[in-house]
Amino acid sequence: MNGLETRRGPKRVILWGALVAVLVLYGFPFGYLLLTSFKTPLDAIAVPPQVLPSQWTLANYVAALGKEGVVPALINSVGTAVLSTAFSLALGVPAAYAITRYRTPSGRIFVVAALVTRMVPTIAVGAPLVETMRRLGISDTTIGLAIAHTTISLPLSIWLMSSFFEAVPVELEEAAKVDGSDRLQALRHVVLPVVSGGLAVTAIFAFLASWNEFLFALLLTSVRAQTTPIVIANFQTQFGLDWGGMTALSALYSVPVILLTLALQRHIVAGLTLGAVKG
Amino acid sequence: MRLTDRRFALALIAPAALFLAAFVAWPLLRFVSNGFYQISPIAGGPRRFVGFGNFATAFGSAAFQGAALRTIVYTAIVVALEFTFGLAVALLFAALGSRSAVFRTVFMYPLMVAPVVAGILWRFLLIDNFGILNELLRRAGLLHSTDQISWLSNPKIALFSVALPDIWLTTSFITLVLFAGLQNVPGDVIEAARIDGVRFPTLLFRIILPLLRPVIAVALIVRGIDAARAFDIILIQTSGGPQDSTTTLSLLIYRTMTRNGDPGLASAMGTVYLIGMLVVAAVAIFAIWRPGGDQA
Repeated sequence: MNGLETRRGPKRVILWGALVAVLVLYGFPFGYLLLTSFKTPLDAIAVPPQVLPSQWTLANYVAALGKEGVVPALINSVGTAVLSTAFSLALGVPAAYAITRYRTPSGRIFVVAALVTRMVPTIAVGAPLVETMRRLGISDTTIGLAIAHTTISLPLSIWLMSSFFEAVPVELEEAAKVDGSDRLQALRHVVLPVVSGGLAVTAIFAFLASWNEFLFALLLTSVRAQTTPIVIANFQTQFGLDWGGMTALSALYSVPVILLTLALQRHIVAGLTLGAVKG
Repeated sequence: MRLTDRRFALALIAPAALFLAAFVAWPLLRFVSNGFYQISPIAGGPRRFVGFGNFATAFGSAAFQGAALRTIVYTAIVVALEFTFGLAVALLFAALGSRSAVFRTVFMYPLMVAPVVAGILWRFLLIDNFGILNELLRRAGLLHSTDQISWLSNPKIALFSVALPDIWLTTSFITLVLFAGLQNVPGDVIEAARIDGVRFPTLLFRIILPLLRPVIAVALIVRGIDAARAFDIILIQTSGGPQDSTTTLSLLIYRTMTRNGDPGLASAMGTVYLIGMLVVAAVAIFAIWRPGGDQA
């Protein structure tokens, strides 16, 4: 740690107090969502609102999961995210490797293009994609939506993987080549195992990008391939304002990825701060 | 050998390049060209070339001007508050040292929550009659009744209110990036300043922030771009209301495209929006990033 750390004494106690306050402030919104999801539907919209449920019940979860289309949408969300992650890695890993190892001019253009892609408003790509998917015969399918999600996660994957490949010493591959493996074998058997942590980070980010995406899903799916974010949004129109059900489904959708984050936080921090900071 | 290396590299890059060409560049080109046509909203309907007509309509419309202004205000609110809060928390973590690692994890959790969920959640917290926030403020004695502030139904403050979930969702990103940057600030510089009796504000503004400049640039640019593109988080809270007070460009373009059924005009608006975005980002990158400058 550097000189920014405060040593012992009353100052440090105050700082801990401040930290606890920040965490309470930060944890409360989602905590309240969880608590509400266990209230009775009437308690959820009681006036004045209570923080704690008067009686704990799973009624909201049962009702939400019982609604038509909710379970298929959850399955679609998983399918789309997995497929899109696979596309991103399959396309992004080789490209990132070539860009970092061979520093081709085309590679540099590519990195700039990938950055620009991030600035493009989703609708500018999404609206024309509706037509493209129809021509390809994959409108309102999981594969079509996964392709659209890959347009977001692929540039990100290339960007992340490039930084991980940067850290691999060229000598490793040289040694492999001396041992008689060709370039592809060296990549597969020597380089990829070294960056396996990076692959995991990239996969998580690609998965999350798809899991939480809304506008492509709204434009490109109607019935069959609908994902959960769209269903959550429809809770307000289709069924009036079903706050209880909405909080239950939102909790159900967010808790697994939050737990995933807590479990893999070290990797995720590395992924988020890469490119911004060269440690 | 050189040539085969190059070919090998091209073979590895080609699939990703072709994918982005087919599913990003090509749709984008079609989108931009659509801006020059009057298009019927019915699929396969007639198209009529109108030159810059749609662009003239867009620039002349109060809706577009208002949405452009609201997009800028929204982005400024989000980025300014996030940066202030995010920096404060990053300094707090740095001051508490390695002991704060667990808490850093807790602080990070909103980053994984879908914007739609964040929007719903905050709408639930802020809603007029049974929102918990006003109730808590009333119990704390800050409000005398819960209907004193109508966060999402008062057009004067709604744009600020819809920014809250966005701030809640992504302040952690700024904190993480700045915290990582703070780890790289040389300790002896800080020590020397402390020994010389430099007060903390001076230390912060004269030494720490200038050293963090490249990191700050990245954080602000990334978040600025994302805030300017915000769509679902606003849509789910207010659908652009009340009285269009939260209709930013992304919402206006979506509405023009779908509900108003004018794809040509929507494409022209989107093109202007995209160009604006690229220009601002380019200026920001060259102005604060100082490309070619050493990263901290």
